[in-house]
Amino acid sequence: MRTGHAVETYGRLLALTTNPITWAWAGALVAALVALPWAVSGHLLVVSTTVLIATVGVVGLNVLTGTTGLISLGQSGFLAIGGYACGLLIRDLSLPTELAVPLAGLITGTLSLLIGVPSLRLKGLYLAITTLAASLIVIHIILYAEPLTGGPFGLRIPDVSFLGLRIADGRGMYYIALIVAVLTVVFVNNLMRSRSGRAWIALRDHDIAAKSMGIDLVRYKLLSFFVSSSIVGVAGALMALQLRFITADVFGLFLSIEALAMLLVGGVGSVAGAILGAAFIVLLPEIARGLLALVGWTGETGSAHVFEIRAVVTGVLIIVMLRIEPDGLIGIWRRTKRYWLQWPLSV
Amino acid sequence: MSALLSVEGLSKSFGGVHAVRGVSFDVAPASIHSVIGPNGAGKTTLFNMISALVKPSSGRAVFDGRDVSRARPHHLARLGIGRTFQNLAVFSHATVVENLLVGMHHRIGGNVLSDGVFFGSTRAREIRAREEVERIIEFLEIEHLRNEVVGMLSYGLQKRVELGRALATGPKLLLLDEMVSGMNTEETEDIARFILDIKQELSIAVLMIEHDMSIVMDISDRVTVLSFGERIADGTPGEVAADPRVIDAYLGGA
Ligand SMILES: Nc1ncnc2c1ncn2[C@@H]1O[C@H](COP(=O)(O)OP(=O)(O)OP(=O)(O)O)[C@@H](O)[C@H]1O
Ligand SMILES: [Mg+2]
Repeated sequence: MRTGHAVETYGRLLALTTNPITWAWAGALVAALVALPWAVSGHLLVVSTTVLIATVGVVGLNVLTGTTGLISLGQSGFLAIGGYACGLLIRDLSLPTELAVPLAGLITGTLSLLIGVPSLRLKGLYLAITTLAASLIVIHIILYAEPLTGGPFGLRIPDVSFLGLRIADGRGMYYIALIVAVLTVVFVNNLMRSRSGRAWIALRDHDIAAKSMGIDLVRYKLLSFFVSSSIVGVAGALMALQLRFITADVFGLFLSIEALAMLLVGGVGSVAGAILGAAFIVLLPEIARGLLALVGWTGETGSAHVFEIRAVVTGVLIIVMLRIEPDGLIGIWRRTKRYWLQWPLSV
Repeated sequence: MSALLSVEGLSKSFGGVHAVRGVSFDVAPASIHSVIGPNGAGKTTLFNMISALVKPSSGRAVFDGRDVSRARPHHLARLGIGRTFQNLAVFSHATVVENLLVGMHHRIGGNVLSDGVFFGSTRAREIRAREEVERIIEFLEIEHLRNEVVGMLSYGLQKRVELGRALATGPKLLLLDEMVSGMNTEETEDIARFILDIKQELSIAVLMIEHDMSIVMDISDRVTVLSFGERIADGTPGEVAADPRVIDAYLGGA
């Protein structure tokens, strides 16, 4: 029997993964992502940047909804706060971008506590509706605080740079998003293998037992709100940098639903699932476009309907996904991996 | 010998239901003390008061010179009281190791920022916690399960993980609410053996609610009997078994 006693040190047991193949894959993925701008350009590069930004947002949402089990429909509100905070810090206070982005995250995290505190006793649908209402309020405030936010006229962000990468340059913006996405994934993965992440899982799976094991539920719920929303705020900041002109419309309700869809399709509670889900949903319209081109439906009509198609396909996909694979894409991946690992025996 | 835990006149009413009425008894250090009684006698409510999950209507539970029944529930682990629940209360999506590590929560320390960066001190803390968890895994003989997701295990094994998680809090007193109900004979014997080892090797006192009379009579140092919220007997297993009021409560009641 494999008892694992062969592992010499506990340090190795703790490593993110002891599997060199996983390390090799992660390394190959990052290398491929670094090389990507040489392979693609124009529209595809913009879409790739969007995938990375969505990854940051969904990995953030996953902390609250996947790991802690607190369902949020407020994603668009938090993205908006992060986006506007970043834009205003750059335009009005001329803060360096390297400072404005993390500050935008911290501002979002702090403001999220305004919803977090009254939401402490709420669960499930009640919390979902509360966060939804909060995000609508955020959008209204942005619309009416015209002197600050530009209201319906939007907020233009000057062409600044981040670590020497210009945001107006497609490649530059791509690398900014890549750096932030990698840092976010590493940070959250570390959280998940330490005390804080375990406390969140514990309070999600059994809050009373978690309490009796010494976990301060109030503290860890608020911490989850703060960490999750800070990361989502950073994603909002990246959106603002990518678009360079934002209005309240950018942060519509559809974003919140799309974010939840990414989480569900990828596989709730898993960082890798969040990444897969973000990539999949962002790439959907591209896939839809490709499929439509195959059946000979090209040109103006096709592209005009692409958003509707995207919404319909997304909806159908979530339903199919939940029906056949509740663990999401990551569940399919795990099963495939097991299949191939045991290959000759599994046939 | 001075008591580790003194239950002093604990009472609890839920509306008109007097679930527990003025119950008192002492638990000696490193002893096995059973609480028995018919269904609905108030045993779980008593445990919930001792572990601060339910506020008493009156009375106290003094542990280490402190009324723990009015402490904040998440401070109990740090004060030295660990517990299991009558219904399965594991973290079912987490692995065995992760469940046990949650038990060590208050002993690990650190904060979200250091955890996210995972350098230096966090790493060292996690390694130390992991060593302790390995000792518990060995003690409970679940080496082959350490990376299994707990929800996938059999009922008996999930209960064993719950016991391990309570041990991981580093308790001086362990509250076990019906560990063996729903277990087969072999699993029950394993648990009985673990409870004896917990007392003898780890010097931890065990206060347990149990319906299985053979295990109660075999391993308890002392037994307290509740019926309709009241203490009707308290003594050695032999004394209690011979007590006419106890026999009456079990045979005559309902
Ligand atoms: N939260 C509550 N609200 C109202 N009544 C309660 C509550 N908890 C327990 N009771 C009542 O208190 C009484 C004692 O319940 P308790 O669960 O403590 O009994 P028990 O001895 O543990 O029973 P069992 O052997 O079935 O586990 C019961 O009549 C129960 O219905
Ligand atoms: Mg009970």
